[in-house]
Amino acid sequence: MTESTYPQLRIVPTRFLNPETTEILLEKICTLDGIRRLVLNGPNLPATVPYGPARGTVNDNSLRRVIKVCGEDYLLHVQVGAILLELEDASVIPLVKAACDEVFADKFPYGITEGTYMRSNMTTTDYAKYGIVDDKRILGMSDPKSKQRPIILQGTK
Amino acid sequence: MAYKPQYGPGTSKVAEVRRNQMNPNVKLEKIRSVTDEDIVLIMGHRAPGQAYPSAHPPLAEQGEPDCPIRKIVKPTEGAKAGDRVRYIQFADSMLNGPSQPYQRTYLECYRFRGIDPGTLSGRQIVECRERDLEGYARELIETSIFDPATTGIRGATVHGHSLRLAENGMMFDMLQRCILDKDGVVKYIKDQVGVPLDRKVAVGKPMDAAWLKANTPMFHSLVGTSFRSDSEYVAYVQRIHALRTKYGFMPKEA
Repeated sequence: MTESTYPQLRIVPTRFLNPETTEILLEKICTLDGIRRLVLNGPNLPATVPYGPARGTVNDNSLRRVIKVCGEDYLLHVQVGAILLELEDASVIPLVKAACDEVFADKFPYGITEGTYMRSNMTTTDYAKYGIVDDKRILGMSDPKSKQRPIILQGTK
Repeated sequence: MAYKPQYGPGTSKVAEVRRNQMNPNVKLEKIRSVTDEDIVLIMGHRAPGQAYPSAHPPLAEQGEPDCPIRKIVKPTEGAKAGDRVRYIQFADSMLNGPSQPYQRTYLECYRFRGIDPGTLSGRQIVECRERDLEGYARELIETSIFDPATTGIRGATVHGHSLRLAENGMMFDMLQRCILDKDGVVKYIKDQVGVPLDRKVAVGKPMDAAWLKANTPMFHSLVGTSFRSDSEYVAYVQRIHALRTKYGFMPKEA
């Protein structure tokens, strides 16, 4: 697999984020110029109880709710533990760090690392799920089993 | 000289907590109170106030065979009455939770009668007769081996013990069985398998980080006491490892 030509970041806070904090953080990050892709990672919060005697019962969970990101509604169905970012170029990195510093300053520490966190080439699974795709941005972003599609935010450019 | 159990090695605080939890002569510190009805609601095996359903007639009625073992072992109250076997299951956060699965099984075996504990990496289940279980569950919830935030009463979908805590300090639970309410008290809004309850069941305020660090039976190099800081414990584990490796199930020291 070739290395992505775009710089990628991973933001890992020391606590799982509430939807409110996620909303605030995304509002700051998504308004920056130069974000190509963004993934919210974390354990799933299912709509119904998946196992046990209560299987199928509606799972009321205040952490699973619709959040607003740059004016778009998005159903947040994970408790956010890490945020993956792909940037247009390295000049955006300090801006992302500044946004995180601002949000996490009075809360808890966080880590931000540069590396390769999302694929940029196709795998067999990708081919099985999507077939031939023209828009390579989808690769490495979604769980192949997930039915939820990514949202496309209008850029600030 | 009478045999005196040592319960475990170690000179650290963690080792001491382990020994104290296992030793039935040490009374577990009572920290909170929950009512009988609360326990019944959280476990969800029967409706509060309902009579105990039975699996067989009471022992007094069914006529016991002449058996020497039955003369030695006295039945528990639940067994005597013919109660069903029911369970309670706990998940303990690895971030200084006040107990952990192996420890729970050890301490239950030392302290309780007529139980069948099941130990897994992230959860521990204990099964026994229903009315005995309610008494044991009370002790497991009211004392220092329970923390409302870092211990979860979870019958199914237990995932969360090894994850980071949420912003408010609660352990991850995909079913959100308990919430940290506005008054700072943790309340169960679902029973242990995830069926919504008619009312919130309060289980007390979360313990602070200093208390958890002082009362956890888990080593953790980042948030608690590191295992390597307890040289006696390390030496003991190394010795057991060496004996088992060299001699299998017949350890003999040279």
